[in-house]
Amino acid sequence: MIKDGVTARINSPAELEKLRQEILSQRDPNKLCITLCSGTACHATGTEKVEAAIEQELEKEGLKTEIDFRRTGCHGFCEKGPIVVIYPEEICYLQIKPEDVPEIVSQTVKEKKIVDRLLYTDPTTGEKVTYESEIPFYKNQERLVFGPNRRIDPKSIEDYLAIGGYRALAKALFNMTPEQVLEEVKKANLRGRGGGGFPAGRKWETTKNAPGEPKYVIVNCDEGDPGAYMDRSLMEGNPHSVLEGLVIGAYAIGSHEGFIYVRQEYPLAVENLSTALKQAEEYGFLGQNILGSGFDFTINVHRGAGAFVSGESSALMTAIEGIVGEPRPKYIRTAVSGIWEKPSNLNNVETWANVPLIINNGADWYNSIGTEGSKGTKIFSLVGKVNNTGLVEVPMGITLREIIYNIGGGIPGGKKFKAVQTGGPSGGVIPEQYLDTPVDFDELTRLGSMMGSGGMIVMDEDTCVVDVARYFIDFLCDESCGKCIPCREGLLHMREILNDIVAGKGREGDIELLEELSQVMTDVSLCALGTTAPNPVATTIRYFGDEYQAHIEDKKCPALVCKELVSYYIEPSKCQACLICLRECPAEAIIGARNQIHVIDQTKCTKCGTCFDVCPARFGAVKKISGEPVPASPPEDERVLQRGKK
Amino acid sequence: MNEITLQIDDRKVEAKEGMTILEAAKSVGINIPTLCYHPALSPFGACRICSVEIVSRGRSRIVTSCNYPAEEGLVVNTKSPAVIQARKLISEFLLARCPNVKVIQDLAREYGVEKPRFKLGKEDEKCILCGLCARICEERMGVSAINFVSRGVNRKVETPFQGTLDIDLDVCLACGACASVCPTGAITLEDITKKKPMPILSEFDEGLKSRAPVYIPFPQAVPNVPVIDREKCVHFATGECKICEEFCEPEAIDFEQEDTVIEVEVGNIIVATGFQTFDPTLAAQYGYGKFDNVITGLQFERLCNATGPTGGNIQLKDGSVPQSVALIHCVGSRDKDYHDYCSRVCCMYALKHSHLIMEKTDAEVHQIFTDIRCFGKDYEDFYQRLVHEEVNFVRGKVQHITSTNGKKANQGRLVITAEDPDNGKVSQVIADMIVLCTAIETRQDAGKVAQAFSISQKADGFFLERHPKLDPVATMTEGVYVVGCCQGPKDIPDTVSQASAAAAQVLALITKGKVELEAGIAVIDEALCSGCRTCNLLCPYTAITFDEEKKVSTINEALCKGCGVCVAACPSGAITGRHFTTEQLVAELEGVLA
Repeated sequence: MIKDGVTARINSPAELEKLRQEILSQRDPNKLCITLCSGTACHATGTEKVEAAIEQELEKEGLKTEIDFRRTGCHGFCEKGPIVVIYPEEICYLQIKPEDVPEIVSQTVKEKKIVDRLLYTDPTTGEKVTYESEIPFYKNQERLVFGPNRRIDPKSIEDYLAIGGYRALAKALFNMTPEQVLEEVKKANLRGRGGGGFPAGRKWETTKNAPGEPKYVIVNCDEGDPGAYMDRSLMEGNPHSVLEGLVIGAYAIGSHEGFIYVRQEYPLAVENLSTALKQAEEYGFLGQNILGSGFDFTINVHRGAGAFVSGESSALMTAIEGIVGEPRPKYIRTAVSGIWEKPSNLNNVETWANVPLIINNGADWYNSIGTEGSKGTKIFSLVGKVNNTGLVEVPMGITLREIIYNIGGGIPGGKKFKAVQTGGPSGGVIPEQYLDTPVDFDELTRLGSMMGSGGMIVMDEDTCVVDVARYFIDFLCDESCGKCIPCREGLLHMREILNDIVAGKGREGDIELLEELSQVMTDVSLCALGTTAPNPVATTIRYFGDEYQAHIEDKKCPALVCKELVSYYIEPSKCQACLICLRECPAEAIIGARNQIHVIDQTKCTKCGTCFDVCPARFGAVKKISGEPVPASPPEDERVLQRGKK
Repeated sequence: MNEITLQIDDRKVEAKEGMTILEAAKSVGINIPTLCYHPALSPFGACRICSVEIVSRGRSRIVTSCNYPAEEGLVVNTKSPAVIQARKLISEFLLARCPNVKVIQDLAREYGVEKPRFKLGKEDEKCILCGLCARICEERMGVSAINFVSRGVNRKVETPFQGTLDIDLDVCLACGACASVCPTGAITLEDITKKKPMPILSEFDEGLKSRAPVYIPFPQAVPNVPVIDREKCVHFATGECKICEEFCEPEAIDFEQEDTVIEVEVGNIIVATGFQTFDPTLAAQYGYGKFDNVITGLQFERLCNATGPTGGNIQLKDGSVPQSVALIHCVGSRDKDYHDYCSRVCCMYALKHSHLIMEKTDAEVHQIFTDIRCFGKDYEDFYQRLVHEEVNFVRGKVQHITSTNGKKANQGRLVITAEDPDNGKVSQVIADMIVLCTAIETRQDAGKVAQAFSISQKADGFFLERHPKLDPVATMTEGVYVVGCCQGPKDIPDTVSQASAAAAQVLALITKGKVELEAGIAVIDEALCSGCRTCNLLCPYTAITFDEEKKVSTINEALCKGCGVCVAACPSGAITGRHFTTEQLVAELEGVLA
């Protein structure tokens, strides 16, 4: 066993395996172990308090030595966090609060009894599910890259070694030549998970063959899409898998220096990554003469200052150079001339994390997963109007429907599905008729959207697509670097036009103008941010052009979202004069009294929707309408409520 | 570099590897519009107006020509429909952003855009965010006094922390490079720095015009090539810039060049170092430096010259034509406070200026004089002609010059008050422009020149000739002659005559091929010389120098006039006058007395 403070450098694959056996021999697979998800989403739902409660309870019960307690990375089922899984049975408890802990310890840990109320309940059948792997959310996933997250403590390199960590590195360094590693990755047809889907092997080869030394390898962990946090959770939950992939890539490419660009806004990722780097250096997986192979490789961490555009490869490299992160023309690829004009190979977190899998299991195995053009799995951040939000990893080729319904559990509240937005601000919306499209780089591009880094926002019938497009354009207005005119000015004017449309000031020709702007921005913008920026607008026009028409011509928002286009009124026949809405209205726009039917003074109404929300469902008297005139209120003398006369 | 061939707009274009499409197109006269491009800066690719459509490896796409490398076999279309559509929309974007900037209006019109379909930006917005200013400041000047701040639609050009902090972050050199490259006039130095930009004034144009740090001293200069002003050049201040070096095709710019000392061995020297004019700021009564429209005679000379700053138009500082011009004589001459002597040329050039003013403008002309001295051949005729042209001659010495607008010096007209030196009569003249006929005076370094050539100076500083009547160009130093205004104020005919005389004297010596030395010169007996150097300092002809090797004084026989000062002074008795030794004198005396 490695003692604290003692340098434990591993100098050969044999020593690595010996260490692994040592670690495993000291671990009893049947020993009871409580694991607690400590990902960022669970932090938000109170995992820290639960952690303290578990520590306290174990101490109190004197179980500290008998029972292992492990804080793991993100499990993915963020909707139901914090998550506790008890091994070896893998009993899964969801949405744990500190006050649940004594019960878990006394019942499950001591008595081996299941606490029913903390289990997952199937929303349709009402059945309880005891084991994590049987919950439909997990059952339908294929968690190759993301799976280990829930089994290991990201701060423990031993945990990573225990599940076979750094075995791929040893294999690459000792049993394969750099060329063989490269060939394997090429053969596996690993495509970049960051957005573009460029074949990683070909990129590696370009850098390898490009003249100039040194060559750099880079991890892009500048994830910035609204609602997407796959890379973050991977970096937080299993940083060693990324490091291992990076070192293997460096070996194949012939690079001896790497950079990890990680957002400063991901404090846990920075912390866990720094710990992992220190450990990897201590153990000899990084630095001089890695594992005694003679291969040297060091990593620098660059903490980003929060610019979405810095996720663009050339902007990211500029930022690493210490200059403001703005894209530069890439007519000569960054793989040939990147950081300080040296060949620089950049891949995102998930791409690197796939590499050890390919090396361990071989390209043939990898090719058995996925579609013709897209191999392996992809992690998506499934959010929006879907029952089970969280991170899901699925094989390429699975349909959008399967993701949303089988894993995501469908749309909440019995609402109708409207569209799914993939690829973040650069992606597009996909309507219902394409739900059976297999998830694949090329298929999504064909639909006008893109795989992107894996954001997947589900929208129901209450979502206005024009408003969604406006939201993304607004986001990009702030996040574009502003360097090139088409992107900067194009976004500005798109935002103005969309603001007008949702405010009921749309004009004839606006749709055509938006299409023209989209075309030119796509044609001539400097970087991928600009060329893909119009996608949300272009795809919503393509699939929901009638909604734009309704906004512009009929001044109607079909989804009843756009504030300027909706009105509220109280249906006299349904109003029970209960005074609730009258009291709650912040604008004092509701006129009425006991036994007197309420009416809304449209001149005072601010359309905040409070009356709509508070009107008891059994009455349903407040109506939200759009595109039609508000029905006239009954004259004052006819407002006396006739009870019983329904 | 390898030659490559590409096709631009159906034309075969030969280019060199490493060139961009834009450079290749320009080299054959194909015009591609640009905004953020500048040949001195690395391509930025931000404005996208230079977009062209290319077909490369069978794929067609739009790229920016300013940074896309010219490749062998590349097919470029600079005017494809997609390109024109993009340029049109970009110009429309810019017109919406800067609706009142002419360059943008013209560009938009070229693509058929009169009125943008978008919401207009601020009325006074001029900046198109091309970044030329910030890039030249950083890339070439090495200063980075300004840069982009904020992101996306809020991007703008600013100074560090927008000047809101108390820390002095003003690193601006006030060099003006940013303003000079700004295509829309959006940048003014006042917005960037509190430092006041100081224009470099053209010496040749007497400060009436500014010049660049690299300039040709004056038209038809010999040699007619530019020089770099080391004091003002940014490269010599910061080590950066070097834009001129990059642009000079014959590669003639050499920043390493140093001054060289050229040694020439000659037998005769003609000193013709000229003069300088009196600095009128020293005489406050003339208001020079206080009033914009009080200028010197030489400045007026540039003003009415066709190659001058106004192209020969006589005009006031504000560009208007003067209604009245006064010429003041004897500024610094014939004045006990400055120079007692007459500068000799002023009367005549004042008359010439008057004539030119009458010829070119309708202004009335006044001459404020103490005496008119038209001493030369035909000069009196010219004076009489001016009298007939109704030039107003006012006798008087100027007391002071004021403005009709009291304290606001440069508003209103100028009033000259002059007093007749004989009868004390005071006259007032109103003028829009005043020309000061400043005195001729010796150059500042005349003393050093005199020392170098062993020539004497008069009390007023002019070099002293051997004899004012009998030998007016030679000096007391053999082989050294003085010519022109360094010897005394004179006009061109006199200078030419004097120069010819000096040349003739020199030629006479050269033709002879040898110099006859005085026989009776001093000689030093090296064996007796103690090396005390007393004689070195005493010799009025600087003929004695000290031989550091032998540690004895030696006499230059060509310079020694045999005056005998050293002979009398030598404490060791080492120096004797040849033909005047004690023995010879005694023998002579004996002979006489015998």
